[in-house]
Amino acid sequence: MSTKTAHTPTAPSTTPRKSVLLRFRQAMDLQLVILVIATVLLMGGFTAASPMFFTADNLLNIANQNASTFIVAAAAGMLLMAGYVDMSVGSVMALAGVCAAFASIEYGMIAGIVCAVLVGTLVGTLNGVLIGQIGMSPIVVTLGVLAAARGLAQLLSPGSLYGLPVDLIGMGSGVFLGIPILVWIAGVICAIFWFVSARMPAGKHTLAVGANPRAAFLTGIPVKSFVMVLYIVVGISVGIAAIMQVARLGSAPSGTLGLGFEVAVLTAVLLGGVPFTGGRGSVIGVLIGVWLIAVLGNGLTLLNVPTEISGIVTGVVLVLAAASSLSGFQRRRRRPRRVQLSARTAAVRVSK
Amino acid sequence: MVVALETKGLEKSFGSNRVLKGISLEFRSGEVTALLGANGAGKSTFLGCISGAEAPSSGQILIHGEEHSGSSPRESIEAGIGMIYQHFQLISSLSIADNVFLGSEVRTVLGATDRRAQERETLSLLLPLGLTLNPAATVGSLSVGQQQVVEIVRALRRDPKVLILDEPTAALSHSEVSALLELVSMLARTRDIAVIYVSHILSEIVHVADRAIVLRDGVVYEDRRRGEFEISDLVDFISPNKRLPSVRDTRDASAEIALGLSSFSGSASGPVDLGVREGEIIGVFGLLGSGRTNLVETLAGVRPTHAGTARVGGTVLNARTPRDAAARGIVLVPADRKLQALFPDMTAVDNVVLPHMRKLGKFGIRSRRSERAAFDTIADALALHPREPDQAGGAFSGGNAQKLMIGRWTNPASDAKVLLFDEPTQGVDVGAREDIYAFVRAFVSEPGRCAIFTTSDYEEAVSLADRIVVLHEGEVQAIIDSSASEAELMSLAFGEDTTLSTQ
Repeated sequence: MSTKTAHTPTAPSTTPRKSVLLRFRQAMDLQLVILVIATVLLMGGFTAASPMFFTADNLLNIANQNASTFIVAAAAGMLLMAGYVDMSVGSVMALAGVCAAFASIEYGMIAGIVCAVLVGTLVGTLNGVLIGQIGMSPIVVTLGVLAAARGLAQLLSPGSLYGLPVDLIGMGSGVFLGIPILVWIAGVICAIFWFVSARMPAGKHTLAVGANPRAAFLTGIPVKSFVMVLYIVVGISVGIAAIMQVARLGSAPSGTLGLGFEVAVLTAVLLGGVPFTGGRGSVIGVLIGVWLIAVLGNGLTLLNVPTEISGIVTGVVLVLAAASSLSGFQRRRRRPRRVQLSARTAAVRVSK
Repeated sequence: MVVALETKGLEKSFGSNRVLKGISLEFRSGEVTALLGANGAGKSTFLGCISGAEAPSSGQILIHGEEHSGSSPRESIEAGIGMIYQHFQLISSLSIADNVFLGSEVRTVLGATDRRAQERETLSLLLPLGLTLNPAATVGSLSVGQQQVVEIVRALRRDPKVLILDEPTAALSHSEVSALLELVSMLARTRDIAVIYVSHILSEIVHVADRAIVLRDGVVYEDRRRGEFEISDLVDFISPNKRLPSVRDTRDASAEIALGLSSFSGSASGPVDLGVREGEIIGVFGLLGSGRTNLVETLAGVRPTHAGTARVGGTVLNARTPRDAAARGIVLVPADRKLQALFPDMTAVDNVVLPHMRKLGKFGIRSRRSERAAFDTIADALALHPREPDQAGGAFSGGNAQKLMIGRWTNPASDAKVLLFDEPTQGVDVGAREDIYAFVRAFVSEPGRCAIFTTSDYEEAVSLADRIVVLHEGEVQAIIDSSASEAELMSLAFGEDTTLSTQ
């Protein structure tokens, strides 16, 4: 580096037009590509095996049944990108669902929705303060909340609840322009998550916190508050998911609502390319992960495969996902190519 | 000249440990001030207080006359403090532009990050500094020197009034150091910034600093302007009882060959033909990327041997893993001790004896007493300070952390014969440096032993080594005597002159 004259060039023409294919290849992890290919192959296989699979009805059904998972997985994915985990989502869903059911029976659908979101937010804040601000262990705290929230839900509602307002159930089974309302809700929310994660500074900040929290802090990112906010966001999404589930089921069974949900969410997030230590990953990957697992379950059911086998298959898929996350498949480090500058900036020496 | 930064009676204690005992200093715009001191003198803590990473126990910080009471890096950045930390604070998986704008992103109307604008601006910030890189490139793919410039660009973008560099050249090659020094002076003058520069490399200080401040034991010990001090003065100020690194006497040319290399190659270094005698110290000298680390890592079994053979005491070495190598007595003290070697949460004793616990123990059970004894031997030999066996590894600073790492591989239980050293005194202060050199010389004076170290520091190469292997882009340029001049070594390292080999 010799001392060049302090000659600030006017905005040079940026990197030459890359072909669409090249840009695509550079942008995608090999891991993500494998995920997409696996999904396509799986869907192809099921289509061949069962005529009922690739129908609008069935596909929309898959989306409808998993709408809650999409929403919470997107939020939990961003949380894990920052290196933090929330194991309590299933139990909080039960708690929020039960509270929302009570509220909606007494005061109507809107009250139910508000109540669900409120409960989710409160628990999210609790998690966020304990883990983000105070610094307690994420797994320990959220496992504790998992146990406590489920217990609380069952305390409030020992049996299942009935008598939900009609408009709530209507939302749960309603259709708008051919697509279930719940799918619309999931679509909008996931789009927002995608936008924030991929296009807004906050997305980079989550990756920074996950990759190197100390560096993120020294850069000026308020790490503690940031992590707290992420937990709150997860809480809110769980609240929304809860009311959606309750609406779809028409009831709020405190013992089984959301049971095992955290496992499904975590599986999808890991499958989608977010390593357990954070620092990498994308919302798109997570959503594809959810879809893959959902398709798997649906396809196996259509083929009348017993649920036990289905469980084994899902487990195998997760192990394969772990294999694809080995470093050989990571996004290639983009080499620092020398930039070609336009004639206006010819004063600066360009070398390869 | 304007006072950009002033501290009044700055104090900082960690529990009962008083690190800063009242520092009152002024730093002026347009000047480069060097901040010096031995490890433990309080430099990093002082900088930490200014940059917001630590909160001072008492005292005031004023920026352009206004009191600054921020307690987070974010507030300090906004107040005009730009800090470049010793251990890089870049996110290696993100791009250059992402890193430069992290925390101060350019946004579109919708709130999204405007990637194009960021990349364009990054480019225009990089170019005047001499770097023509693609701003979308991942930081992890850059060389250390390039990363350093990216860090500077990131700090400059926030328009700082004070720019602080904490040991910026610790991991740089010679040419990159010169370039950085020029850059730093230029920045101070043309942008009217107060630059504070911490370094252990005294030749740099004399070259670039307008003023040198020496801290000792938490207070300001000396404050001299340019022209009022020389390197020897600085050495005295920092640790009064140490001499300059001494030059080696020539060794006995008839001793046995302890380590023989014939056409030995690693994946990015060699082939090397060399016979290292007992009691000899070899320096591997080269710029960054010359293959120095690659060579010693291959010898140590960290990387697979590409071609050729190495013989230890006559028998061929076949080291596929570090364990194989260690079994033959070849040990490596790696360059980046924070990342590669030190266990910050384990005690000092544990850090030192970790690979040898089985040997020191009886019947598979650990023997704390033998472990403690091994630690004591090493702590004495290296003058470890503080001599605290139970202190956490992460609490030891620079030179002393390095001593722990050396101790791990050279304590009595390790049975080391060939000591390999990647950048032995990187980031280590003058006093500790001399301790380490003395130790290496004592080590090789025992029968059957030799040592090889890598360095990009000319002074270190000539004062510690008997012979110097100069590498350039992986290839051996020459193997010369340590009486070579700096000019000769540098031109060889640049690949310019190959007629000086004196095998």
